[in-house]
Amino acid sequence: MKSNTFWAWLIVVLGILYFFVPLLATLEFSLRAGRPDHFFSLVAYEKALKDPAFLKSMTLSVEIAVFTIIVTLLIIVPTAYWVHLRLPRLRPVVEFVTLMPFVVPAVVLVFGLIRIYSRPPLAFTYYTWSTNLLLVCAYSVLSFPYMYRAVDTGLRAIDVRTLTEAAQSLGASWATILLRIIFPNLRVALLSGAFLTFAIVVGEFTIAVFLARPTFGPYMSLQIQNKAYEPAALSIISFALTWASMGIIQWVGHRAPGQVQVGGAR
Amino acid sequence: MSQHSLLTGTQHETRGAPEARPVPLKRRASWAWVGVVPFFVFALLFLLLPTGFLFVGSFQDSLGRFTLDNYPKLFRTLVLEAYWRSIRISFVTALGGGVFGFLLAYAVIMGGLPRFVRSALMTFSGVASNFAGVPLAFAFIATIGQAGLLTLWIKDLFNVNIYDKSVGFTLYSFWGLSLVYMYFQFPLMVLIISPAIDGLRREWREASENLGATPWQYWRYVALPILLPSLLGTMILLFGNAFGAQATAFALTGGTYNLVTILIGAQIRGDVLRDPGLGYTLAVGMVIIMAICIGGYTWLQRWTEKWLR
Amino acid sequence: MKKRLMHALALMAALALVLTACQPAATEAPKDFSKVTSAADAGGMDALVAAAKAEGTVTTIALPHDWCNYGGVIDGFKAKYGLQVNELDPNAGSNDELEAVKANKDNKGPQAPDVVDVGLAFGPQAKTEQLISLYKVSTWDTIPASAKDADGYWYGDYYGVLAFEVNANVVKNVPQDWSDLLKPEYQGQVALAGDPRSSNQAIQAVYAAALATGGSLDNAEPGLQFFKQLNEAGNFVPVIAKPGTIAQGETPITIRWTYNALSNRDALAGNPPIEVVVPASGRFAGVYVQAVSAYAPHPAAARLWMEFLYSDEGQTLWLKGYCHPIRYEDLLARKAVPQDLLDKLPDVTGAVFPSLAQLDAAKKAITENWDAVVGADVK
Repeated sequence: MKSNTFWAWLIVVLGILYFFVPLLATLEFSLRAGRPDHFFSLVAYEKALKDPAFLKSMTLSVEIAVFTIIVTLLIIVPTAYWVHLRLPRLRPVVEFVTLMPFVVPAVVLVFGLIRIYSRPPLAFTYYTWSTNLLLVCAYSVLSFPYMYRAVDTGLRAIDVRTLTEAAQSLGASWATILLRIIFPNLRVALLSGAFLTFAIVVGEFTIAVFLARPTFGPYMSLQIQNKAYEPAALSIISFALTWASMGIIQWVGHRAPGQVQVGGAR
Repeated sequence: MSQHSLLTGTQHETRGAPEARPVPLKRRASWAWVGVVPFFVFALLFLLLPTGFLFVGSFQDSLGRFTLDNYPKLFRTLVLEAYWRSIRISFVTALGGGVFGFLLAYAVIMGGLPRFVRSALMTFSGVASNFAGVPLAFAFIATIGQAGLLTLWIKDLFNVNIYDKSVGFTLYSFWGLSLVYMYFQFPLMVLIISPAIDGLRREWREASENLGATPWQYWRYVALPILLPSLLGTMILLFGNAFGAQATAFALTGGTYNLVTILIGAQIRGDVLRDPGLGYTLAVGMVIIMAICIGGYTWLQRWTEKWLR
Repeated sequence: MKKRLMHALALMAALALVLTACQPAATEAPKDFSKVTSAADAGGMDALVAAAKAEGTVTTIALPHDWCNYGGVIDGFKAKYGLQVNELDPNAGSNDELEAVKANKDNKGPQAPDVVDVGLAFGPQAKTEQLISLYKVSTWDTIPASAKDADGYWYGDYYGVLAFEVNANVVKNVPQDWSDLLKPEYQGQVALAGDPRSSNQAIQAVYAAALATGGSLDNAEPGLQFFKQLNEAGNFVPVIAKPGTIAQGETPITIRWTYNALSNRDALAGNPPIEVVVPASGRFAGVYVQAVSAYAPHPAAARLWMEFLYSDEGQTLWLKGYCHPIRYEDLLARKAVPQDLLDKLPDVTGAVFPSLAQLDAAKKAITENWDAVVGADVK
């Protein structure tokens, strides 16, 4: 056990080094904004945070992200469950469709969406709320590969067939099975999927910019193009904010009711 | 009461449990289809239809007329090289990201480390998984670029310039780019494989130890076969993730390194009157490659799943 | 009962959509501004201004605030006419802009650009594809004939020359000309601000290098050879330079338009100190052109925007951003610009302007041969 922990710590330390040193370098650069008066200063952070557009765009991104997570969960979990349980031969087709967003350039996707949904009766682009809806749907599609893979992995780790059969024999409907048995047992997987979806939405740029929605991605890109120190400060700030949001999502996820631990190493 | 089969992990009720209500075969099939209809409708509306323009565009020339000329262009040396580079980097980072990501996840879940380390790693991975594009490229440039923090430290401490011809390190190369790609590949692996590692019950390890198996044998005969389908599935996700990545490579190597995604960008976007039809065709090529990969992966899956029967 | 309610709601929703779709036509009944070809044709500037104010907003694309002081231009327009300016992707390339016009043909929402600012070669292309409208601004006659479409579909807006933006903290001995860049002291320091296969700025940089190393406006090949030498000497850094990388020191010598370099110098305000050098030879002028979208949701506002850009006020605002506005000679002749602003402009005597044909040929040569000649090195 002792040597086990040693190796575990070693790997974790290597991981920390790999992940944090580049962040440190970005941080170090962002602190140079006050030269030559101050060797290190927070003036880049002040400027970044003072900009009202920053908070506005971040807020919009977070809102869109939450809706996207909900939509994706509602679509992917039943689908993955069904494919796993009843339609294993459909699996390659479903996986192909979920992996398509990787190879379709975002700019092609967004112009395709505009072409289809910009004229009546499907004039999504006319109103802000409907454009937001279109954005949520587009982001949901982008998060398919991650959410599907997370849910699929989670389903493999629990005995779906037995759980379903046991629940059915007790008279549960499909909705009950999904909501009260499957969802709670996939907690870890769903959290992973939610994290990934959240990160995608907050960072995405192309689709938001051509749909003319002022989310965080376009805002960040604008800063990078024209400024030197503020983008580095923004990277660090958005990293920290997103990490905090993940923490909140995890906390909410842990408090979800009805946890039946079937799988689990501890 | 119930037994765990070591190899399959399924529970066998030894007491007679009431069976599930038998459903006529025909009805069963029709119910199942309904279950995936929402997914396909959604995918059709927001993915497949817009992507239709991709396929249509690949048969058009720069003036919009129908042509089959775009497809032969895929076999030009430049294009084939780009495809090969894209596949290579995707494969290498999927493998490398998969292995180290798995080790990392296993370390925090089963390594006897305090609970908060796992939470911290999971949430951090969420953020890092999408840290890409110019900010990521800049972070690495600021670290080991020619004027990077680490580069300068090494110069000061050891009097060695890693960019010097004798050492020959450069961030702007295949391996440099792979190093940068790992930043979003490791976290992706960590996040997706965690539920699978959670599913490895401690009792199996203990049982195998009781039966006299070495850790190696435990891995070879118990853990790995169970994990293999999930590992493969996640690696193909990593492959797709790297295959479709563009912003990071573009920011780092600009016009000197050819990946398919960069070529596509040059055709469809930018300031030059190029050939969007060719761009679309390149993207169709990527779709075909992904389809082939999925085919190969599905076959591998079926083969490994036999272990679980 | 519930079904009836649902039907009624659906009908009302459909009706609402149809009505809102019909509305713009109703307010435009008096004059279809998408067909207006000049201020006179609109019934005078006042009529144009009134119609634009009724529309309320103009949608622009690809206008970074630091590029030629577009930030000041946009603010000036807003202040003068009280209109909103809806800004789309400031980093869009010319292809993106035309694609946005094409994709948004039927879209009257905020995603459709009203006006475009594209590279010179895109003017004729957009005209061929019927993506832009005819409109001649009031000051049409003072725009040089070589920089506009005779029919009035597109017109040059400003030009600049390619220069070196140098981080003076990292580079002590500032290069003065293209040939200096090959010196071994600049090992790993020279970068472009874009991809030479798709970015206008980067392609013109190669073209400019050609002018300085034995090529001409008809022969861009020496430019490719120059960059090949630069790469083989190890002086070329393949990173796409941004203000961040220049300040950080990874791309301490970046080849960019004078106006971008100078405004970046001002923005950094000495941290780090920047020197902008217009090379002694190989001064290459790049022109961008403006046009009104044929599918503009706000045609009157779009035309008013053009009037503003080509007025003395608009042209001077561009001048403040270190660009040479297209009516520069005219402004000088009428002494319409304060001397202190003129003094700040970089010295670009001897700058050469390629014709459309030369530009097309050079672009083709550079973008198609870059990979083969220069780019084969990165393993």
